[in-house]
Amino acid sequence: MSCEPVLRKRDAAIWASIKASINLAAKEAAKYAYFIADSTKKAEDLIGRFTDAGKMGVAGLIIIILMAVFAPFITFYGPSAISGDSLEPPGRDHILGTDELGMDIWSQICYGARMSLVIGLAVALIAGLGGGILGLMAGYLGGNWDKALLRTIDIIMALPNFPLLIVIAAFLNPSIINVILVLVFLSWAKPARVVRSQALSMKKQNYIISARLQGASPAYIIKRHILPEALPVIFVSILNISSHAIVAESGLAFLGLGDPTSKSWGMMLHYATSFKSIYFTPYWQWWLMPPLIALVALLLCLAFIGRDMERLVDPRLKSGR
Amino acid sequence: MRHKDRKNMLLQYATALFLILILNFFLPRMMPGDPFLILSADQENEVISVLTEEQRQYFIGYYGLDRPVYEQFINYICSVARGDLGESIYYKVPVIEAIWTRLPWTALIVIGATIISTVLGVLLGLFSARHREKATDKLLIMGLISFAEIPSFLLGLIILLAFSVKLKIFPLAGAITPFAHYSSIFDTVWDIGYHAILPIFTLALTQLTGIFLLTRNTLITVMTKDYIRTARAKGIGDTLVWHRHALRNALLPVVTRVGFQIGMLMGGAVLVENVFSYPGVGGLLRSSVIARDYPLIQGIMLIMAVCILTANYLVDIIYERLDPRTASFEAA
Repeated sequence: MSCEPVLRKRDAAIWASIKASINLAAKEAAKYAYFIADSTKKAEDLIGRFTDAGKMGVAGLIIIILMAVFAPFITFYGPSAISGDSLEPPGRDHILGTDELGMDIWSQICYGARMSLVIGLAVALIAGLGGGILGLMAGYLGGNWDKALLRTIDIIMALPNFPLLIVIAAFLNPSIINVILVLVFLSWAKPARVVRSQALSMKKQNYIISARLQGASPAYIIKRHILPEALPVIFVSILNISSHAIVAESGLAFLGLGDPTSKSWGMMLHYATSFKSIYFTPYWQWWLMPPLIALVALLLCLAFIGRDMERLVDPRLKSGR
Repeated sequence: MRHKDRKNMLLQYATALFLILILNFFLPRMMPGDPFLILSADQENEVISVLTEEQRQYFIGYYGLDRPVYEQFINYICSVARGDLGESIYYKVPVIEAIWTRLPWTALIVIGATIISTVLGVLLGLFSARHREKATDKLLIMGLISFAEIPSFLLGLIILLAFSVKLKIFPLAGAITPFAHYSSIFDTVWDIGYHAILPIFTLALTQLTGIFLLTRNTLITVMTKDYIRTARAKGIGDTLVWHRHALRNALLPVVTRVGFQIGMLMGGAVLVENVFSYPGVGGLLRSSVIARDYPLIQGIMLIMAVCILTANYLVDIIYERLDPRTASFEAA
């Protein structure tokens, strides 16, 4: 009985803290809601300025993302489940038919989209943001940091990408993580270089100089002034890197260096083209064509978006002039 | 900024090559497992001979694995310099020999693609620049840009399906007709060309757009220069101005571009050869990957890397020769 007040007190304290945290969460949520609304509006504005090809690219990319996210709901079989006869043509049971082992092709396509998107996004985000930030710091700080970074960039850019990728993938076990790491290592140099030169030119702008003279630290200036300006450029390079990464992954898988347990579009191409008489039989029509079309569609979508972004970020780069 | 003095360039390429050698040396050593735990497992009888400690020590000494790592590394570099890349596990021949027999085929399609993409790209670029902002120009740009976004091996698959599987105009695979008897040298060349045309065309298409856009845009810039106006003022005909005055000066960046695309072409050739079952280095690479023939994989990658690095270095030097301004600007 005597412990009741203590309990009550504790309850009150807990209640108070819960209330406080709900308040805080509400406040945060409001902030985020604003942020999300703001960025959706910005994205809408941006897409509004795209060309027709760019809009098509956005639509296509959204469809592919939806396919990847809702793969379990729009397919009837698991991607590795043997659900039918070997090499069934497209029909009622299997929309796109089955492969050599009797696995449903439509579900392999949907689950394969995950692989391509994850690889593309992960590599591009890490390499683009990492390289971009390195470039910013080197460009802004200058001196020996800058020299060291430039040297490294030159060497990395001189490395022949694809042969290197093949040999590393052949020796390390071909898991997604390894492929991502190698691709990041090979692709951070370009955004770093582009962003560095932008940081160099921005450094001499009057408002940056005046901010520095007022005692702003380099970290503050980079975060507050230079990074927001450089973000669009980084975003364009993220798009470029992601399509490079998708091509590299599917190329490796096509050569037989992909993760054999995964279902990716490149692996599907590998199995289909490894099938001895694929071109002498009608099988290529539903075994080889779907992953081929899916990959080309994804890459074209990314390219269309990338080209429009490039045009909007830097009107001077407009290619068709 | 891009063209530094020659010593720096050489240093940069040498460092890249050194990095590749280091990677080639350490990758097998980073793999798990000990090669001497089981030296031979006889496939037929399933007899696994486990080495005694004494034998083990002997083999470790024999292969020089008891030496310090740096000494092993120097040995490795020396043997690479001598052209000794080890022995292929699968083909049972020296790696360098296996690559050497396949290299001409790869060289054929890479060089063929370079020539076709350059000539066609420059001609189309010239045409497009002369008909600037007209319907043909816009159509050409749209079409070629879309092609450029498709990576070479996917484009190759599409072309193979269209021309060899569906239309049956071109052969499906190989570089020559098997068991063919050629009556003349002309027949041989015809057969080789007939088999090579699709891979060459595929590779050329992927590089065409870059050359085309570069030629077109440089030409348009060049045409605004004063000496073009002078030439026109002298009463020189339109075609002559375009060809003699403008095109010549617009070709300079094209030369660099052609050199740098050799690297991309070699990477693309590896995949495209597999699409067309072409017997070049790319085909060798795929079979060595499937057979897990590590020395061969390493050798191919080293040879390709050396080819690409050399090509890029040569381009840097040629560019400097062609345009003396780049050298003098840096000095000033």
